[in-house]
Amino acid sequence: MRREFRTSLRLESACEFPAVRAATLTVREWLAEKNLPEADLGGWELALVEAVNNAVKYADDKARQLPVTIDVSCGECDVEVRITDHTAGFDWPDEVDLPDMDSESGRGLFLIKSLTDHVSYLRHPGENVMVLRRARPAAASEILPNVSHLQNRLAEAETALTDMTAELASSYESLVALFRYSSELGAHTDLKDFSQRLLKDLMQIAEADCAVLRLVSRDGKKLETLLLLPGEEKNLLPPVALTDAFASVEVGAAHNRQDIWFGPEEPLGKTDPLREVMPVGLGICHAFHVANQLVGTATLGRRLADRPFTAAQVNLLHTFVDFLAIQIVNARLLDERTAARVTRRELQIAADIQRSLLPAKIPACLPFEISAVCQSALQVGGDFYDLIPASEGALLLVIADVMGKGVPAALFAAVLRSTIRSMPQLFDQPGELLAAANRTLFPDLSRVDMFVTAQIAYLDPHRQKIISASAGHCPLLVWQPGTTDATALGESGFPLGIEPLTRYTQTETVLPANAAALLYTDGLSETRNAAGEMLSEKNLLRFLAQTAAQTGEAQAGKNFLLERLADYSGHAPLADDQTLILIRHRL
Amino acid sequence: MNIQNKDSQTTVVTGLLELVAANAAQVRDEIRAALPAATVNLDLDLSALTFLDSSGLGTLISLHKTLRSRNGTVRLLKPAANVLQILELTRLHRVFEIVNG
Repeated sequence: MRREFRTSLRLESACEFPAVRAATLTVREWLAEKNLPEADLGGWELALVEAVNNAVKYADDKARQLPVTIDVSCGECDVEVRITDHTAGFDWPDEVDLPDMDSESGRGLFLIKSLTDHVSYLRHPGENVMVLRRARPAAASEILPNVSHLQNRLAEAETALTDMTAELASSYESLVALFRYSSELGAHTDLKDFSQRLLKDLMQIAEADCAVLRLVSRDGKKLETLLLLPGEEKNLLPPVALTDAFASVEVGAAHNRQDIWFGPEEPLGKTDPLREVMPVGLGICHAFHVANQLVGTATLGRRLADRPFTAAQVNLLHTFVDFLAIQIVNARLLDERTAARVTRRELQIAADIQRSLLPAKIPACLPFEISAVCQSALQVGGDFYDLIPASEGALLLVIADVMGKGVPAALFAAVLRSTIRSMPQLFDQPGELLAAANRTLFPDLSRVDMFVTAQIAYLDPHRQKIISASAGHCPLLVWQPGTTDATALGESGFPLGIEPLTRYTQTETVLPANAAALLYTDGLSETRNAAGEMLSEKNLLRFLAQTAAQTGEAQAGKNFLLERLADYSGHAPLADDQTLILIRHRL
Repeated sequence: MNIQNKDSQTTVVTGLLELVAANAAQVRDEIRAALPAATVNLDLDLSALTFLDSSGLGTLISLHKTLRSRNGTVRLLKPAANVLQILELTRLHRVFEIVNG
């Protein structure tokens, strides 16, 4: 057997941090001369620094006067270092574990243990010895130092090259992927498809076995599953509320704005929904934000717990997911803008329809004068009115409010208008007319769960009467000359579209000279003042009495009434459509 | 060591050569003292850092906690391979955002 060839070095260092650092550098240089590879030199340097720092840390004033001794012995197969100090020493723990992530100390022994093959700590009265040993990577021949040196250098260069290639490859892959995604984005790809391909690529590059992508719901209250890979059983993963940070690692990561790792040491919580779908050894969850707003979370998992994600892989996760977050936010903004455009266009169409329904001019019905207006609020509603000449100089007055807004409401208003106009034989019987209109419209209205309130009045100039009927609409208001108050008239039946076969009672009222009557929609009576109080029917009756007392012509009366309403609301923009027909007996 | 304010919220530290027991506490205190009240993000440029030990890790953690209390983060820029290896070994790459060159 060949006798092992060993060389050794002894150093004494003052018991203080700067001196210790200098001593460890000397040892490193000495080991470099022994042709240890770069990686081993770095490991030894750190292990030694930690070991000697420990000696300094536990030194009292007396021990600080005495040196720390470092003995290094380098053989063909291993390196051994002994550190002798004269401090009180410390108890070597049973388990050398990492402390909490937040702890600012307590990683020294873990590093020593991780960087060496063997550690022992021998305590004696007056001195302690820490023995560290580590095998040399290859049996380098001392006889041919130059060759072995070159071999080592070659091996190191190869390792470095491999590392660089791997890093370049992963950067290149992610760059290529991102460019590809960017060009795809122009081609209107579906966000989910796009996310799926991105996540699959990420899993492959980051060597993950499964992945979950969750997005914040529109209301911002929960995380909803967009993707669960592999497989597409996202229904397995119900949404999780964002309120309880302990409900799942995803919510935790979102709350703390920090990646959460899970694995054998920090397992998923018992109630964590990820447990069901990620039967993994370990994983990492990253919450992603855009402009400080949480957008979602991405979780990667590995089946086996033996290999945690490296920093480079974590970087990839961040890069990919943050890129995705921006695309998601952009796509959402685009959706919202398109929706807003569609809505604006729709409102324009609805307003056009509504305007086209109104009579171009007001037919004469002497001795009655009529003035009417339909003022639209910003959000076009379903108000409309109609004035239809009937036989013998009579006039049919129609006022209606279709429940709902926009194009559907405007279309039903148009249908109601045609339906009524198609039944002139019933004009003098408004109750029958409403019942017939209801029968015609009921199937269409009930199918879309809509209804219409309407008031129809037949104005008879010869008998100076008004005959009215109401389908769930605001009552007819009448002011009689010689009275101080106006009154609300008539019973109301169901709105159109509620019951297929329903009857409407009609009310007949005489309108003598100077009398005034008002048909209106609830936009008037529900006008709100600055304090938020509604005008109410009672005040509207009062306004009508004032109008009748202070004005003559119907046109002037209408303007007077509208001014009273505007005064009441403090000239605020209309909250709802305001439609009215004012009738004045002018003889 | 050079401490500069990149913008109203971000402070950048460059020129760290070693972060070890001998200087860890001093570096921590100097950076903390120089941090403007408005700073929420601290970028530690580690490109010049040749050596880091467990006391240096303590400094990084301590700064991380300071910035976290301001709802910000510490980013480690361009650590060399040996420094990255120590961060990975002690699993602190899970805590810090590490940005490569």
